[in-house]
Amino acid sequence: MDILQILVNGLVLGALYACIAVGFSLVWGVLNIINMLHGSFIILGGYLTFFAWFYLGLNPILALPVVALVLYALGYVLQYIFINKVVTSPVLTTLTLTFGLDMILYNLMTVYFTATPRRVTMDMGSADILGVIMPMDRVMGMALAFLLTGLLYVVMRASTIGRAIVAVRMDRQAAALMGIRVNRIYAITFGIGALMAGAAGAVFAIVFPVTTNLTGVFLGKAFVICVIGGLGSVPGALVGGLALGIIESFAGFVLGPQHAMTLGFVLMLVLLVVRPTGLIGVKGYE
Amino acid sequence: MFGKPRKSAVLTAAAIALASAATLSAASAPAWAQDVLRIGAPLALTGGLADEGKKQESVWQLWLDKINAAGGIKVGGKTMKVEIIKYDYQTDGKRAGQLAEKLITDDKVDVLMAPFGSGHTKIIAAVTERYQVPLLACVASSESVYDQSFKYLFGTLAPNSGMTDAMAALYKQKLPTLKKIAIYGRDDVFPKSMATSMATSAKAAGIEVAYNELYAVGTMDHSAAISAIKAAGADWIYMTGYTQDLILGRKQLNDLGVKAPIITMVTGPAYKEFTDGLGDLADGVTSSTWWHHATAYTGAAGVWPSTEAFYKDFTTAFKSDPDYVHASCAAAADVLVNAVQKAGSTDKAKVRDALEATDMLTFYGPIKFGPNHMNLGRDMPIIQVQGKDIKVLYPASIANAEMKLIK
Repeated sequence: MDILQILVNGLVLGALYACIAVGFSLVWGVLNIINMLHGSFIILGGYLTFFAWFYLGLNPILALPVVALVLYALGYVLQYIFINKVVTSPVLTTLTLTFGLDMILYNLMTVYFTATPRRVTMDMGSADILGVIMPMDRVMGMALAFLLTGLLYVVMRASTIGRAIVAVRMDRQAAALMGIRVNRIYAITFGIGALMAGAAGAVFAIVFPVTTNLTGVFLGKAFVICVIGGLGSVPGALVGGLALGIIESFAGFVLGPQHAMTLGFVLMLVLLVVRPTGLIGVKGYE
Repeated sequence: MFGKPRKSAVLTAAAIALASAATLSAASAPAWAQDVLRIGAPLALTGGLADEGKKQESVWQLWLDKINAAGGIKVGGKTMKVEIIKYDYQTDGKRAGQLAEKLITDDKVDVLMAPFGSGHTKIIAAVTERYQVPLLACVASSESVYDQSFKYLFGTLAPNSGMTDAMAALYKQKLPTLKKIAIYGRDDVFPKSMATSMATSAKAAGIEVAYNELYAVGTMDHSAAISAIKAAGADWIYMTGYTQDLILGRKQLNDLGVKAPIITMVTGPAYKEFTDGLGDLADGVTSSTWWHHATAYTGAAGVWPSTEAFYKDFTTAFKSDPDYVHASCAAAADVLVNAVQKAGSTDKAKVRDALEATDMLTFYGPIKFGPNHMNLGRDMPIIQVQGKDIKVLYPASIANAEMKLIK
């Protein structure tokens, strides 16, 4: 029973991790930008969801699409006005720019929202299936994580915008020659990354306390998940997230919670050496 | 790759100039007048510990307004104004150390107040010791900060061990069948020290430590540990950490169906955000704390003559209840002024000696420093969330409720 419970704990956590990483992976894979704002985007999504629930009584699930759209708009504007100016520069330049923007966003949130941990206190209870306990809010988070990543996968594979994003990633010049407005595609991609972060934040407001203290933790997780799963594909984030969740869950039980996170980083280092593309990443994206 | 060096150099210089200007303008300009007691305070006003930093800032402002409204303080026959010069160290330990040095060398402060937390206090204590400037720490309780034989560091919180001994004894008395405790602490200075201290206290009280683990800073999920705690079958769960860890931990205990008659979360219930973030789940959770406004000290020296007077001023100014951070920091400021008055000047060595000889009653409680310069232990309150209220269970002199077991 114990092993099954730990596996379920890991899977549910892993799906939430995937939710964190998918937007980050997209932006890194397509724009070659390590988006340091990602953790703050998630927390901003969490705050907006919390405020919508606290002041307007809006259910977080209903708030999710609105929050995601607000974050999309924010991401689009930031990319269009600031990041597009340096998007073709070496990765260190874009990293520094997003780091600076993150400092601004992070501190604005700390000043105006304070770092006080807040949580949407709507406890949904747990389901007990054959002795394995599944907290309903996490199960719902998992379902949303699968839904959102699935949706993104379909958009990337089947829509004109998705194909344009892939085309720009493959060859910027050729895409421009084919009539794709590259800067607009960059802004849309960054916007989608922010949208996914906002949606993750809305889910997290139910499961985790929302506080600016966690922005760095989310960013760190996203980074590890992308390296484990591999860049450039939506399933990569999903596989990376699930793998990290299960590893942390078993390591926490067997080696003690102190070493759970260490094992995730060890796996990341090993993969960087033996398989830089990650578990299912696309070659050329590492 | 080395193109346009001049442009980069100019940009770098401009950035440094801008950053320095921003730092300078963030600080209030120091007054260089003779009869001013200058207190330096590096505070975490932005970043992860911003909430705690702002608590210190606000209570010191309240204290300062009272002092200066009364015309200042009497020192050696003359009246001195008091000024607090503060900088935001952005919750960055390294920067805290640099700013402490700046306060001493540039701003020529007479004494320093330490920021929130044992970790950052330790960094600043190393600087003040080097320059031989008295440092008052009002929110650092880990003995590891004070066991370095620093001569200039003094702390108004009492050692952690005093809190855990009393708690183990009280719970054993309230629940005679209490046999097993599960201890789960954050691997960080204060929470780790409380967890270690509780393991010792529990064993001494005849309680079996069935689970004793630490979790890493940044842990986002406690389900693995909670599954292990469930298997251990403890009837007392003792978790330490910061508020976001404790909210998550309490929620996951509930999610995974782990029940125990006693759940202690240090120092969750001391903060309003803990009960706000948990709602009904907070009910029954206990904690130790260094101070609670239900304590009733009267005839105190310093700005406020009684706990009640402090509580009244505080609630009028901020429309919320003060917690131990507010109280300990305001009392530390009183202790500092008392030492300057006893020393008869702002001479750093004399103030240090006066601090060492401190034996006074403040609205926060008695202050007398022990051999390691921490405030000597006294009966520190044990509190419990009961419904929407925080009740005091211990010590008997201020207890206002009986302990309730969680069903």
